Amino acid sequence: MRAPLTAALCLAAAPALAGVAEVVDDHVLPATAAFAEATAVLEGAAAADCRGEALRPAYQDAFDAWLGISHLTLGPLEEDGTGLAIGFWPDARGMVGRTVARLVADEDPVARDTEGFSEVSVAGRGLFALERLLYDEAFAGYGADDYACTLAKAIAADLARMGGAVDAAWREDFAQTLKTAGAEDNSRFLDDREAAQALYTALATGLDFTAQQRLGRPMGSFEAPKPQVAEARRSDRPLRNVVLSLEALRELAMTLSDAPIPRTEAAFDRALETARTLDDPRLAGVAEPAGRLRVEALQTEIRAVTRAAAEEIAPALGVSVGFNSADGD
Amino acid sequence: MHLRPITAVGLIAMAASPALAQSKTEVLDTYANIAQAGYEDSLIKAQALQKAVDALVETPSAEALQAARQAWLEARVPYQQTEIYRFGNAIVDDWEGKVNAWPLDEGLIDYVDASYGGPTDANQLAALNVVANPSFSLGGSEVDASEITPDLLEGQLHEAGAVEANVATGYHAVEFLLWGQDLNGTDYGSGNRPWTDYSAGEDCTNGNCDRRGDYLQAATDLLVSDLEWMSGQWAEGGAARAAVLEDEDAGINAILTGMGSLSYGEQAGERMKLGVMLNDPEEEHDCFSDNTHNSHYYDGLGVRNVYLGEYLRVDGSVVTGPALADLVAAADPDVAAELRDRLDATMVELGQIKSAAEAGFSYDMMLARGNAEGEALIMGAVDALVDQTRAIERAVTALGVEQIAFEGSDSLDDPEAVFQ
Repeated sequence: MRAPLTAALCLAAAPALAGVAEVVDDHVLPATAAFAEATAVLEGAAAADCRGEALRPAYQDAFDAWLGISHLTLGPLEEDGTGLAIGFWPDARGMVGRTVARLVADEDPVARDTEGFSEVSVAGRGLFALERLLYDEAFAGYGADDYACTLAKAIAADLARMGGAVDAAWREDFAQTLKTAGAEDNSRFLDDREAAQALYTALATGLDFTAQQRLGRPMGSFEAPKPQVAEARRSDRPLRNVVLSLEALRELAMTLSDAPIPRTEAAFDRALETARTLDDPRLAGVAEPAGRLRVEALQTEIRAVTRAAAEEIAPALGVSVGFNSADGD
Repeated sequence: MHLRPITAVGLIAMAASPALAQSKTEVLDTYANIAQAGYEDSLIKAQALQKAVDALVETPSAEALQAARQAWLEARVPYQQTEIYRFGNAIVDDWEGKVNAWPLDEGLIDYVDASYGGPTDANQLAALNVVANPSFSLGGSEVDASEITPDLLEGQLHEAGAVEANVATGYHAVEFLLWGQDLNGTDYGSGNRPWTDYSAGEDCTNGNCDRRGDYLQAATDLLVSDLEWMSGQWAEGGAARAAVLEDEDAGINAILTGMGSLSYGEQAGERMKLGVMLNDPEEEHDCFSDNTHNSHYYDGLGVRNVYLGEYLRVDGSVVTGPALADLVAAADPDVAAELRDRLDATMVELGQIKSAAEAGFSYDMMLARGNAEGEALIMGAVDALVDQTRAIERAVTALGVEQIAFEGSDSLDDPEAVFQ
């Protein structure tokens, strides 16, 4: 059924007008601005009081804002690994815990060195390193004069610096690169189709990341579920991250497509409804058969979104999924 | 509406100009011939490694250990060039975890330094040390490991507890047994296991030398038999060759999928960029032997081999034939020229890492925090691989062979599976 449909549309070589400019203006730039703002607030909060209790609300807000852009793996977040430095997850080898513990144990002076801190391992920076300090029993409860407080300030400042840089790089550079696809001096996107394909790939990759990683990792296998590896479980965010990522991806899909996409929308709504009513913030339920079944059902619904998008959005844009950074192991 | 599962075979191929029909099959023949030669070379070199390992265990000496290490290094040259076949070929992908899994929690296998730590959240068996323990409990049942055999490694230890880091077999398990842990951090130097770890009687260092030797031999024997099997899959009449030739558009797609997936997600992302971002020498692909520069170099060369249809065998002979490059050139000469330039540029970047490492600026030093030169070298290769991936995407478009998303995702291939 797909074959004739896709073939027909692809033979009409010129793609439908892709919503590339709409994605940039209505989806990306507001979200990068929000992340820059939220991380700036986080930095200000840490400067005023770097202790855990004081910093947690700003951390939660910054993480919320991160979910608005974490799927934009093309461009500024990909360059120099900035996306990894902001949110290093999944962390299959437990690097965040080890790296933060080592920084604290050594009282590494790098935390007092604004320039030098950006050279630290990504496992010791960003939202996940900060989560350890604020929520892990091994660190939480540190005092204003403790090294951990200094480290929290350094991580917050580093996040604000990256938040500002990502917003600026999108606004001043990559937005134009996408919008001027096909222009003579644009070697990144040789035509509109390539720009649309890159955004569609971000959509498909983001959906897969939420299904395979955010849900799939804690699910593990039936015999060996792994609730302890859920994303940001220490700060009670696993399910919230799923919901926010779906909301962001829904917005991307809606802005990217010019034509109505009723089936994709409906699929998003079903998945979001299921996620919002799951009532299992840490996805800890994966350890029990009944809870696992509900998380699996959500995973299936997210995959249905991917299929709907593949059948509804991709042909209309004349694109397929490009290679993505999750193609490896 | 009937939702068709998206599988590699279900790919839609378009613009299949009849004039090219014949040469697509020829291109796939070349692709399969290179695979067969590459796995056969890997087998030949693994057999040489097996001899060297047997000699080490029978008559341990510094020279015998050195000879085994040299044989391992040589064995990696053809094998890394076959990694391209992992992506796009289910037969290879399902198998390769036994042969080349990485990274590993080496404490599963043998003694480790105190700094290694013990069991972790993610892996309760991270410090099991099978060499020292003839019996242990695994998932609630007692395992008899009094004899260390290929069956024990393959059947019970490998990925024990469903943890991927429990790598009990393959090149990197053998590498650990030959070199030991690299305790030099991001300073120069590889693992420094003493040859007396294989000595008999009172000369034995670090205990259980006989069991360590058994483990090394069992793992090497498995490597040989696994490579023998894969070499057969690509021979005339083999299943992997047949799968590629079954549907020529799907076959062409498999080549492109392999090139793009290895270049981008695997090599540029998982292996190179992540290592430099983490400043972690354990992220080196061949971390015990400090052979990572070669691992990356030959991965890159493998991509180029299949595109240009040319592979230099370990005996100096050349396997060559009609190639994907010819198809792309016929479809769009500009895209073909760009892709070739990108592949060459990548090899220059990977060659710079290799030459720097061979001159003493080793890969783990490049990963050190604040080492700007090392970071520039590695990120230069990452950028080249990313550029190369874009050119591969353009080749996909030029050939009209739409590529598959999320290759290897069970769930997408079989949406019903999740209900089972």
